[in-house]
Amino acid sequence: MKRKVLSILLASAMSITVLAGCGSTPATTEQTTADSVAATETTAAEPAAEVEVDVATYTEAPELAELVSAGSLAPVEERIPDADNIFVDTVDANGDALEIGTYGGVINLAGANGSWDLSRPVLESIIRYNTDGSYYPNVIKEYSFNADYTEWTFKFREGMKWSDGDDFNTDDVTFWYYMVHLTNFDGKASWNALIDYKEDTGETDEEGNAITIPHYATLKKVDDYTVTWTFTQPKYPADFIENGDFKWCWAPSHYLSDLIPDSEGYPYVENEYWASTGLSEEDVLANAIAKGIEAATVKDLGKAVSYNFWNTSGVPNLNSYVLCTTPGNNTRDDSLCILERNPYFWKVDAAGNQLPYCDEIHFNKTSEDGQDLLMFRSGEIDIINIGMQDIAATLADMGDAAELRSFAGTSWGSYQVTFNYTCKDENYATLFANPDFRQAISICVDRQNLSEIVSDGFLEPGQCAPSEGNFGYDAEWEQKWTEYDVDAAKKLLEGCGLVMGSDGFYDFADGSDFTLTFYTYAESGATAAYPVLEQNYTAAGIKCATKEFTVEAFDQEIDNNDWYAVLVPHTAIGGLSLRDRVAPFVPIAQAAEWYGEYGTWYGSDGAQGVEPTGDMAKLIEIYEKWNATPDSSERDAYTLDIYQVHEDNLWSIAYLKGEGSYNLISSKIKNYANNLVSADLYQYANIVHYWTLYKAE
Amino acid sequence: MKESPETCEVSTSPGFLQKGYSMTALKEFLKKDLVQYIIKRVLMFIPTLLLISILVFFVIQLPPGDYVSAHIAALATEGEFVDADYAASLREDYGLDLPVWQQYIKWVKDIIWTPTDSAYYRLYGSHHNWKFSFAYGRDVWSVVEDRLGLTIGVTFIILLFQYVVSIPIAVYASTHQYSAGDYISAFIGFIGTAIPNFILAIILMYLSYVWTGNANVGLFTQEMLQNGIHLYNFGDFLKRMIIPIIVIGTSGTCGIIRSVRAQMLDEVSKQYTLTARAKGVSERTIVMKYCFRAAINPTVSGLGGVLSSLFSGSTVTAMVLNMQIQGPVLFKALQCQDMYLAGAIVMVQAVLVVIGILFSDIILAFLDPRIRYSGGGR
Repeated sequence: MKRKVLSILLASAMSITVLAGCGSTPATTEQTTADSVAATETTAAEPAAEVEVDVATYTEAPELAELVSAGSLAPVEERIPDADNIFVDTVDANGDALEIGTYGGVINLAGANGSWDLSRPVLESIIRYNTDGSYYPNVIKEYSFNADYTEWTFKFREGMKWSDGDDFNTDDVTFWYYMVHLTNFDGKASWNALIDYKEDTGETDEEGNAITIPHYATLKKVDDYTVTWTFTQPKYPADFIENGDFKWCWAPSHYLSDLIPDSEGYPYVENEYWASTGLSEEDVLANAIAKGIEAATVKDLGKAVSYNFWNTSGVPNLNSYVLCTTPGNNTRDDSLCILERNPYFWKVDAAGNQLPYCDEIHFNKTSEDGQDLLMFRSGEIDIINIGMQDIAATLADMGDAAELRSFAGTSWGSYQVTFNYTCKDENYATLFANPDFRQAISICVDRQNLSEIVSDGFLEPGQCAPSEGNFGYDAEWEQKWTEYDVDAAKKLLEGCGLVMGSDGFYDFADGSDFTLTFYTYAESGATAAYPVLEQNYTAAGIKCATKEFTVEAFDQEIDNNDWYAVLVPHTAIGGLSLRDRVAPFVPIAQAAEWYGEYGTWYGSDGAQGVEPTGDMAKLIEIYEKWNATPDSSERDAYTLDIYQVHEDNLWSIAYLKGEGSYNLISSKIKNYANNLVSADLYQYANIVHYWTLYKAE
Repeated sequence: MKESPETCEVSTSPGFLQKGYSMTALKEFLKKDLVQYIIKRVLMFIPTLLLISILVFFVIQLPPGDYVSAHIAALATEGEFVDADYAASLREDYGLDLPVWQQYIKWVKDIIWTPTDSAYYRLYGSHHNWKFSFAYGRDVWSVVEDRLGLTIGVTFIILLFQYVVSIPIAVYASTHQYSAGDYISAFIGFIGTAIPNFILAIILMYLSYVWTGNANVGLFTQEMLQNGIHLYNFGDFLKRMIIPIIVIGTSGTCGIIRSVRAQMLDEVSKQYTLTARAKGVSERTIVMKYCFRAAINPTVSGLGGVLSSLFSGSTVTAMVLNMQIQGPVLFKALQCQDMYLAGAIVMVQAVLVVIGILFSDIILAFLDPRIRYSGGGR
């Protein structure tokens, strides 16, 4: 069978799904039937690159073919879904066509330190994002929802198997939900995505917070490959399928069934699919040991086998590579940790070659920064995350042997300064509220010089605005108030009512001293920038000082509203995650410096903090509209409105463009896209699609 | 009146000289109160180790926070947030909510004896529960065991290198005092001591990279880490040992060279040496059989200390060179306040060092019976 299929992905982002805040929700709110499900898929599948696909027959890695010939492995056709259910991977996250690769070789990476590091290159989630924020079904084959968003249907891929060869079906979904997740065995007290509503008990806890009882979605198995999630309240895409926490909804029931206790700590949840295991906590710990899994407590066990399962050797999963079982190479703490090809991986390339191409991924543990770079230089590591200061020298030394890959970040500029708009001192509060003051602070700094000193000229001058490649990017905004002009800055300061004193520094009009004291915290990176800024501010007649705190003490100062200005905020506009969508850009919590007590006011329902006025209040107004609509295009419009208010006000000033992240890769590595986006929602390196990388020797 | 050579030998030279290296001497040596001495010393281990364990456990707990707070901070950097209830329940599960002294008593009690009906014994089949390493998510003993053999092996090789290199140099330098060789050996020895290990390590890694295109990071190649060390790749392993041996080994050679040289110079001018020479004993026999054995005493008595410094002192070097030995594990354990793991490693080191000191004392007594096992100047 030869058929031409339009490759998925990278549709016109704005019309379908944009950034994290939008889904592939059809514009209509009609019941999405099988047709509209197809429409969902098709919308996400608008082509950026047209790729010839031929999956009439499958091909597999030679080492797997040998096992098949030896009779120790089933033929590839029996291991992976048929052409109607298989996932054909044809384009990268930018929508560019992938090359057909060759089998073999090892991808060598630096060591895995954090609990998520082993998952980054391999984890397979419900949906997958492109760099532009659009997304498409991944492990699930299709999804749909009814008109009022109270019922969601997931269809899975028939013929899909766990990495140990056992069938994957909706029993694994009901098992996960009722036996693993709702019992809190996975230690993730049900994700918000699955909470239907919270019932208010009318009681409060010791800290005065309302005590609520969560009610969860009802999961029903329709058939072996279809489930429905039912809610009593509308569950919009942003809260459900686009919720970054909700990455998977399955667990290997055949493997975990003797590891789930029915105890006081993990009581059985009544359901029609699974009976209580009747096992004590001690029983399951002993069963775990029998499977080679060490855990001190059931809490540790649950996390190891059903949350950070990629870190636990022997636990079947759906990923492209699985942790090997060889002692000495099967934990992320080992000097060499090995992930092996999953022989049951359910993706193929356009020519029907089962993915992944490379045999193994190796994580090479090093004890010190810089050792991985040495190993990269000597060819022992193929892909390395590198600081910008090392890029030029390494590329110069390695010539054609290495290539640079850039990732845009999600931060709104770097080296931000912001001010306390709810400052207790009236003089300062009034001054900070004046946009001319912020403009003066922005233009009095020689950004080029700052860039040379703090980043060897690597970071370009910029403003507090979305980075290129992110939703809402605006070149004009990125350059607003960035032209260096000390005289103009002085005029603006005088326009704000400041008066030049006899010491050459501005004072308030009432004669009181004006000193801009920047609060910073250790490891914020502010130390390098402050002397340059001080020089610039001083030249503009602004007396300044700095106070450095530990992170805890810094946060305390902010919470107590005992501060004036901050250099490199702890919660900068933008942030590291797209998960919260517009939340980082509106004053709704006691969190970020740029809105200070205004956020506390909203977060405490007006009980504490300062009531927002003017444009701060406007942000909340737009946010509430954003929150009340399920329509993605409307949400996008509101998001842009919020961004516009930010562009008008620039409550935070950034001096340089946002710092992305950089990888150096060996030139032998192919199919590694450039200009990707590094974000929590995209699971960072997961967007590279490691299973499509191949090594050209 | 001139003393007879025999009287002279008895009074001024080490006792073993009377008997030479005969089996009779060895038997006599073993017959003495050696067993009693060893028992006494082993009994002394108990309060010593107890004291060390108290220090270790309490010092590790001194910084504010505990493993759970360190763990939560680490999770936060990965974008995962843990609520206060979960943190509190973790503390309860790990027993971190108990007062430190209670944690300590439970720790020591479980290490000494974990009863057969305990969950630990049923799970692991061991009566010695070293507790659970939070950082590694495994039984502490299995983490320690992983690297213990290699650490002892590497330490032994380095120790061997130190003695094999420094002692001949010292003997040569003492018998060729103020010669060019003496100065050269002193120069090399001082370089090893004067340059901080980690700098020497970095320099050698750099040179290795420049000359061979490989910085030789770590003790093993990827192939060894996957397939283990066998005869066919043992050469590669030795190649990887060159830098650690030079870096860690040379740091101690200078001390040995200088002390043995000084002792030798002292011995070669003593009466018994002159007598032996007068009696026509060959120079080689005088130096090697008499002077050297007397001169080696301070070096042997320092063995325990050397072991200790190789074990713990090489942590920084091990990290710079990415050596898969105990030091970096201890560092990680301390960093994330995994006190059971840190405690276990320090305790194991302490035991080894205490045993090392015992051995050095026994060897010393064998070499020189003037050094008695017990006090009282018998």
